[in-house]
Amino acid sequence: MTKRLVLICLGTVLCACSSESKVTPEPLTPVALPDLSRMDAPVQQQLRERSQTLASKVEKPDTPPLELAESYGEVGNLLLAAEYTEAAEAYYLHAQALAPSDMRWPYYLGHVYRLRGDLATSAASFERVLRLRPNDLAALVWLGDVNVDQGKPEAAEPLFARALSLQPRLVAALFGAGRAALARRDYAHAVDQLEQALAADPRATMIHYSLGLAYRGLGDTAKADEHLRQRGGVEVGPPDPLMIALRGLLHGAVNEEEQGVRALSSRDFASAVVHFRRAVELAPDNPALRHKLGTALSLSGDTRAAFEEFEETVRRSPGFSQGHYSLGVLLAQEGRLPEAVDRFGAAVRLDPEFPQARYGYALALAQMKRYEEARKQLAEGAARFPDHQEFAEALTRLK
Amino acid sequence: MSGKFEYAEIIGSGAAMFDYDNDGDLDVLLVQYKGQSRLFRNDLSDGKLSFTDVTENSGVSSRGNGMGVATGDFNNDGCVDLFLTNLGPNQLFRNNCDGTFTDVSRQSHTDGEPVSPKLAIDRKASEGGWSVSAAFVDYDRDGWLDLFVGNYVSWHAETSMPCFSPSGRQDYCSPNVFQPQPSRLYHNNRDGTFTDVTAAAGLLREYGPALGVSTADFNGDGWPDIYVANDGQPNQLWINQHDGTFKNMGLLSGTALSAHGKAKAGMGVDAGDFDNDGDDDLFVTNLTGEGNDLYVNDGIGLFEEQSARSGLGPASRAYTGFGTAWFDIDNDGWLDTLIVNGAVQTIEALRRLSDPFPLHQRKLLFRNLRDGRFEDVTARGGPAFQLSEVGRGAAFGDIDNDGDVDVLVANNNGKPRLLINNIGSRSHWIGLRLVAGKGRDRIGARVGVVLDAGRTIWRRARAEGSYASANDPRVLVGLGQTTHVALVRVVWPDGRTEEWKTVAIDRYTTLTEGDSK
Repeated sequence: MTKRLVLICLGTVLCACSSESKVTPEPLTPVALPDLSRMDAPVQQQLRERSQTLASKVEKPDTPPLELAESYGEVGNLLLAAEYTEAAEAYYLHAQALAPSDMRWPYYLGHVYRLRGDLATSAASFERVLRLRPNDLAALVWLGDVNVDQGKPEAAEPLFARALSLQPRLVAALFGAGRAALARRDYAHAVDQLEQALAADPRATMIHYSLGLAYRGLGDTAKADEHLRQRGGVEVGPPDPLMIALRGLLHGAVNEEEQGVRALSSRDFASAVVHFRRAVELAPDNPALRHKLGTALSLSGDTRAAFEEFEETVRRSPGFSQGHYSLGVLLAQEGRLPEAVDRFGAAVRLDPEFPQARYGYALALAQMKRYEEARKQLAEGAARFPDHQEFAEALTRLK
Repeated sequence: MSGKFEYAEIIGSGAAMFDYDNDGDLDVLLVQYKGQSRLFRNDLSDGKLSFTDVTENSGVSSRGNGMGVATGDFNNDGCVDLFLTNLGPNQLFRNNCDGTFTDVSRQSHTDGEPVSPKLAIDRKASEGGWSVSAAFVDYDRDGWLDLFVGNYVSWHAETSMPCFSPSGRQDYCSPNVFQPQPSRLYHNNRDGTFTDVTAAAGLLREYGPALGVSTADFNGDGWPDIYVANDGQPNQLWINQHDGTFKNMGLLSGTALSAHGKAKAGMGVDAGDFDNDGDDDLFVTNLTGEGNDLYVNDGIGLFEEQSARSGLGPASRAYTGFGTAWFDIDNDGWLDTLIVNGAVQTIEALRRLSDPFPLHQRKLLFRNLRDGRFEDVTARGGPAFQLSEVGRGAAFGDIDNDGDVDVLVANNNGKPRLLINNIGSRSHWIGLRLVAGKGRDRIGARVGVVLDAGRTIWRRARAEGSYASANDPRVLVGLGQTTHVALVRVVWPDGRTEEWKTVAIDRYTTLTEGDSK
């Protein structure tokens, strides 16, 4: 079936290209779905359905090339969302050959190659996008980034400048321009661009690192230190509707989990519960998912349901320390201290490097007036986790 | 590969090149994750290599779950000792100077006891620690090697939870689902025992999942510093404060993160003066998609990340790098680099081919172009560079004593490879063993080879670096077509300097501390 499919595809592509444009047909790699056997069942089903739809379109000689391209692209999207970049590449190449004026396929290919570490080919793909759509902000920024990563800051700067001419306060472009200037050791310009980026989005804490290094380059160690200390993990990216469209594409548990986590971080607890519950239905033996469901329930105010999920978590996975810890928290909140102590104690035994569990354990012991044991736990916590000041502070209070 | 995606099975293991029997050639230790690590005696004769497995009677009785190895003469008796890192308690083997070793792990207090005596609770859990790379380093310059042990994460097979890719397929976990363990610094008490000084030295303040360790004087103050490559968290550059404590200057030095400000998956690391400006630069290997990092030292411990400009970053993005070192493959006087690679998560293209161990990747070899850039010469490296394997540890040293650096590669779930250098000995070179007292290697000593033209090439006697591995402590300096050396200057670890004016080229010479003429 695969062989036949490939032959048909090649024929279709050659016909399509010769009739639609003067673009030279590219040599196509054979397309075949990867081994799906270890994917989540819903993801397997999605891929098989899309692949069958594609096959039926391929077999129809009158399928318009653009429709066929769409179908190849849809399979490519699922594969990219599943991080099967090599398999996705083959489908996108077909889509690109069938619809050479559609910027989506070289755009996704740019990301496929970027993720695989092939920066030169990634850049070529993003350049192709920009030939089709010169003012595409996402492609401008990504191509700029790829150029900086290839050691070509001079090639990156005009791209960021063009993006900024279209959207003057675009944080990703300011950040890129700052990093390009940093790479050229033009520290003053780097500071200027990065300060603007940070002013445009103070939440983007990742900028502090580059800004700190730019100030260091200027010899301003105090400013450098100030920014380096504020450095965080909040990343900066361009407006990227095509990549965002891939989120939520897969029906599997991991995807539901990702959406749940996103909902949780934006404090949309009700949506988080929905996503985590779907994830648990798909992977009932995954304790981390059930634990997240319990957490979302607890945050949404449904303590009883949260309690049930945490209990189920530790029943199914007795070695899952976070389940014991969360149960301990709820039990302590309800004043059921002996049970809370048991749960916290179990969490600490399972994972001695779990600071929150040890702290909860110590507090619950103290509340039960078991001061000596509490002090022991706090002393050990203070020694093990010097960054966690709460141990030393509680120890002082207990003495 | 167990098929259960057990995290620990893909992390090791390392290898060592060290002359345990003091016969002038490098012997080999191969660390094993499953089973007994193996010690091979090098029976080099007339340039011909052959090895004998001497594990049985050597006393090197490893506990299994082996990860890495460090070498150094901790008791100053002139015989190099052996430290094995494990998933579980570590092991220190004292060399008896008669071809055998004695396990002194417990009495030396280096097996992973709790950080402080107060932490007796959970001792069992502490013993279940996980160390990967370690380094002997005389951090207080008292002439006795101390020991830094890089610890990874808290992981137990029995409580480990499965991890999944976005498609729901089970795969190896990422390190960020586990708690990192603090690394340890052991002070040498000069009586065969060590004291855990981690907390007193300030190293408990910040830690991550450590995989790579390199020790060198990064800020040029004459005191050894410690660089730790962490997996998925910021790297640390511990600058020696000369009073038994260290201060983490990772962020300000520019060596903690990538140019973007992201923490990468640091694995292997090495320090060396690739640009011949007199200070040690850092090279760190990372995960597929990230690219390896080159941090160029300005001489006072501030670094500039030049991964992209040098070409080392972009060319390595498709690989997950582990063992690596700066070494002068062609003896032209400029340090080149080699990286052994192997993924940590399933490579789908390989799995589609029903590959039973779909993590393998090719090695990479880069030649120094002498202008801050490197050329990818992997394709010219010979058939060994076409092999795709799951590379982890790599030990570097002149195993056939022909004047160039060879490489021993430890592959996960595969045969080791000994890569013999056939190009370096075509150029001139100078080989130096730096010793003191009864012939103990002076790890940490710096050597300046002054050429007639006045240019000085600085190198360092070291055994640490790479990934979970131990290297030849001798210093080998490539001279290219130069046939005469004006002077050899040695800066000993305690800061004293000596000079030798007549050192022969194209051979090894032992320079003994206090013996300059």
